[in-house]
Amino acid sequence: MIEAIILMLVLGAFLGLGLGIADEVFYVKPDERFEKVLNMLPGYNCGACGYPGCQGMAEGLLNGEVTTVSQCKPSNADQRKDISTYLNENPGPDGKALVIKP
Amino acid sequence: MELFSLFISAIFINNIILNKFLGMCPFMGVSRKTSSALGMGGAVTFVIFFSSLITWGLFEYVLEPLSLQYMDLITFILIIASFVQLVEMIIKKYSPSLYKALGIYLPLITTNCAVLFVALENIKQGFTFVESVVYSLAVPIGFTLVLIIFSAIRERLDIADVPKPLKGNPVAMIVAAIMALAFSGLAGLV
Repeated sequence: MIEAIILMLVLGAFLGLGLGIADEVFYVKPDERFEKVLNMLPGYNCGACGYPGCQGMAEGLLNGEVTTVSQCKPSNADQRKDISTYLNENPGPDGKALVIKP
Repeated sequence: MELFSLFISAIFINNIILNKFLGMCPFMGVSRKTSSALGMGGAVTFVIFFSSLITWGLFEYVLEPLSLQYMDLITFILIIASFVQLVEMIIKKYSPSLYKALGIYLPLITTNCAVLFVALENIKQGFTFVESVVYSLAVPIGFTLVLIIFSAIRERLDIADVPKPLKGNPVAMIVAAIMALAFSGLAGLV
């Protein structure tokens, strides 16, 4: 019984350490624009844009599937303008800025 | 020679998908495109090969001397889950497109019964180290082979004139059944 507990502890610690190191080695820098765009969207998760939620819409904007912010129905004119100017002015990790209409 | 017949029989005769009916989830789920089928096959091969070797060593040198054989399932699952996490990190780093194509099916390798099957079968059959190396390599090769064949057929079916009620998944099920019949014809090869 006590051996089983020790075994699980050792195994868990060993695998956890291994995965922790692997996480450092294979770290992928997340796109910082994603968080910003997500915060600028209304955040209703209404799904009117065709994506399941605002998260999907933000991803769609960043990978070029969506080219006009007005696809987000509940957003007002200010929000649309803010998001489009932000994305047009801030280039992504590949150094290219997106062309997004409000 | 015995190793060779073990290798051939694990790939063709006792094929993990078409004979044992394990790992059906990715078989249906990621077989729409040959490229993603190949990626899935590679990921599963990596996970099965390394996790089976480690679980074999763990059982032989730790669990058995301590007479903790009843701990096999929980420790094996822990090791498999860790390897799937590792594969996920590697694919996310080096091939984001493959990461996207595999989607939810990548973390689901953890629950792919084919992986646990190989780990348990190595123990149950009492394989030596060399035998378990051969077996843990042959089973995922058979998995990948069938996945690629099936995805190639499905790609061809997409442009074929299939009767409307059978379009998509139903005809894929029929193809899977015919493939299983065809593979059963290989019994008695070795």
